[in-house]
Amino acid sequence: MNKIQSVGVTILFCILIFGFGIVTLINPDTEYSETENRTLAQMPALTLDSLLDGSFESGYEDYLTDQFVFRDSWIALKTAVERTSGRTQINDIYFAKDDYLIEAHTDTFTAEQAEANRNILAQFVELYAEEFQAEHMTVMIIPNAVDILREKLPAFASPYDEGDYLESLREAVMEAASGTIADADGIWFDARSVLQEHSEEEIYYRTDHHWKTLGAFYVWQAWAASCGYTVPALDSYEITTVTEDFEGTIQSKLGIHTVTDSIEIYLDPSAPSYTVEKDESGELLDSLYDYSALDTKSKYDIFFGGNNALSRITTEADTGRKILVIKDSYAHCFVPFLLSEFDQIDVLDIRYYNQELSALIGEEGYTDLLFLYNASGFAEDTSLTKLLY
Amino acid sequence: MVFSSLLFLFRFLPAVLLCYYLMPRPLRNLVLFLFSMIFYAWGEPVYIFLMIVSILVSYIGGIAVDAMKRAGRPKAAKNALILSLAASLSLLAFFKYADFAIGTVNTLTGAGLSLLNLALPIGISFYTFQTMSYTIDIYRGDARVQKNLISYGAYVVMFPQLIAGPIVRYSTIDEKLRSRKESVEEFALGAQRFIIGLAKKVLLANNAGSLWDSINAMTVSDVPVLTAWLGLAAYTFQIYFDFSAYSDMAIGLGHMFGFDFPENFNYPYISKSITEFWRRWHISLSTWFREYVYIPLGGNRVSAARHIRNLLIVWLLTGIWHGASWNFVAWGAYYGILLVVEKYFLNPYLEKLPVILRHIYCLLLVMLGWNLFVFGDITESMTYLRALFGGFGAGFMNMETIYLICNNLLLLVCLILGCTRIPKNLCSRFCIRFENDHFVMTTAKGLFLAAIFLLSVAWLVDASYNPFLYFRF
Repeated sequence: MNKIQSVGVTILFCILIFGFGIVTLINPDTEYSETENRTLAQMPALTLDSLLDGSFESGYEDYLTDQFVFRDSWIALKTAVERTSGRTQINDIYFAKDDYLIEAHTDTFTAEQAEANRNILAQFVELYAEEFQAEHMTVMIIPNAVDILREKLPAFASPYDEGDYLESLREAVMEAASGTIADADGIWFDARSVLQEHSEEEIYYRTDHHWKTLGAFYVWQAWAASCGYTVPALDSYEITTVTEDFEGTIQSKLGIHTVTDSIEIYLDPSAPSYTVEKDESGELLDSLYDYSALDTKSKYDIFFGGNNALSRITTEADTGRKILVIKDSYAHCFVPFLLSEFDQIDVLDIRYYNQELSALIGEEGYTDLLFLYNASGFAEDTSLTKLLY
Repeated sequence: MVFSSLLFLFRFLPAVLLCYYLMPRPLRNLVLFLFSMIFYAWGEPVYIFLMIVSILVSYIGGIAVDAMKRAGRPKAAKNALILSLAASLSLLAFFKYADFAIGTVNTLTGAGLSLLNLALPIGISFYTFQTMSYTIDIYRGDARVQKNLISYGAYVVMFPQLIAGPIVRYSTIDEKLRSRKESVEEFALGAQRFIIGLAKKVLLANNAGSLWDSINAMTVSDVPVLTAWLGLAAYTFQIYFDFSAYSDMAIGLGHMFGFDFPENFNYPYISKSITEFWRRWHISLSTWFREYVYIPLGGNRVSAARHIRNLLIVWLLTGIWHGASWNFVAWGAYYGILLVVEKYFLNPYLEKLPVILRHIYCLLLVMLGWNLFVFGDITESMTYLRALFGGFGAGFMNMETIYLICNNLLLLVCLILGCTRIPKNLCSRFCIRFENDHFVMTTAKGLFLAAIFLLSVAWLVDASYNPFLYFRF
């Protein structure tokens, strides 16, 4: 290298490391990332203990990565380059047909947690099957988009077959219940077959990991029929598109903008009036929908305003039925369909509920129990043991 | 701390460069020493005492050996040397091999002794070999004694090559430790080498690594033959790009501070025989074993039986140096046997083969070697070996194989090219073509380096996946 080149390369290198070094130092820290929808790591406290056991060092590296200047742009740059290089799967996300971004969940269902959760579910069913009997107890696990929208995946993509895991859950549930009740198979509701029939329709978001309200409707329709409830027709609802600018969690993971999703809410004109109380706050709301969520990044939170430990819906349906829904966020767009069928709907998120579940069930005297989770959410959940308390 | 981290790139490196170049020359070794200590202590501060002990043992050993020699007492010099080597080796043995030994005793006798579960001090295998080379070289008269504790400490703990080499023999940097002249040419050379190494690590090695991980995570008995080979190829790429990238970065950093470290890799995967492979792979380690074990044992100037014994000793040691477990012993033995077979039997036949077949022969054996290397235990290696040869009846390939190849096509092309001289030759031709056009050369170089640096940063910001394979040695 001659002198001119050497000076050039030296200046370039110094600009890069000192430039970014200084910019990252003076760039103010942020608490929360809108795009990633999570709190960012902060500067860890420096103490002798944290320094010696290495927690300060690892905390500082997390802090540096999380607070790195132009964080979103770096991630977007990486995604763009990988796309240009011909990749159709980036960060375990497929770039599928019709602008669908679909999470592959490669290791989710073969991990130990998935197996442990199957055992917990079986124990849970064993605990309550006799009390509720098959016709009043339902376990439904909603498969992910990657399972239902297989046709849309890139050519030759062959992700894990969620059917295997769901089948193993069904068997575990049936076996657990068969000791106490006769029609043990009735507890499991096969949501997968229902969704597969409608796989050509808009039943999953293109940019988010949830199902769309239409998918929830189809499952509700089939389940209502199997329970002997009034089976509603699609056109009996007033369907309102509340936003067309929804950019969901999957898109955030890639740091890029692809397309936007619309969110629909289904209002039943014949539904009874109701009130909602969240987390025993004493405050009664008159709507299941939190429209203020539409002004934020996480627009899916319009349903229920996001996750709460326990929400209690009291209706004037006057059916004499009280249901407990144990769920993750997939249930948020499903629960509104239940209004006409139950006098009381308790919606419980076991991840945030820190009291004894058996006590709640004992006190409230529910007539029905619905366990509704998304498949990957169920398999990855680390708090399901609380179901057995 | 690893080089391929935001912490190193934008905190540690700017800080050490600034302090280093602001200090007058006589204090620069001190700057290197202090920053290297911080680098070493980051994440595991307690082992700083181990480092200080290692430095002191060999520092005092060196002075003692030198003093005895000067006093005309060769026997005492030898004893001092043995004492110092024994001290260095026992530190290594205790921290790296104690659990392995306890485990082996437990398996053989059922004694049920409890393991120590010590975290392996990073770089211990590397710096122990460096300190040993120092005292041996003084004993042999190949190196001058270093009386300045700071300069000697800077040599042992020098952060560029502390974690993963190259293993720098003391005699090769003695001059530079005493007086060196940094220059803008050398700095630029170092910066360029460092950026290339960083990109090799972050863009190539890590991506090859995640391909290997995704295949390794599958149930082995369901993996079709082609996928299994794709996985092994991905690991073969990963370990080369990972390790050689580290050496590139180390050598580059060395230049930035005015040092000239030895090369560690020379396109190992274009070798035509195993003998050639080991002349091109981890050169500083092979050199160390040749200098301090193989030749003292008599090398090849002895009877065939003793020569074979020497080779096998060296290769068993090479194997166990890589890690305290049986698969590394097997891996070393595998190469020992292959080298003996080549030297005593195969070479004349190999030379008659067409070149392409010799390449295939060598690469296949190297890949099967990595199959022994990559798994923590030999049973797993054998299971994977079975998948490689279709022993589970999982078919030759499936949809997933095609998908994995398609999804990683450009990566695979880059990896293959990166193992050959082609990129380097293309660059040379470009450089010759525009030799006198400083503007074109400087701009092209600047743009290329900036681009791969920025891409590496993008991957680092995004990645949680950033392991260093040679970290555990």
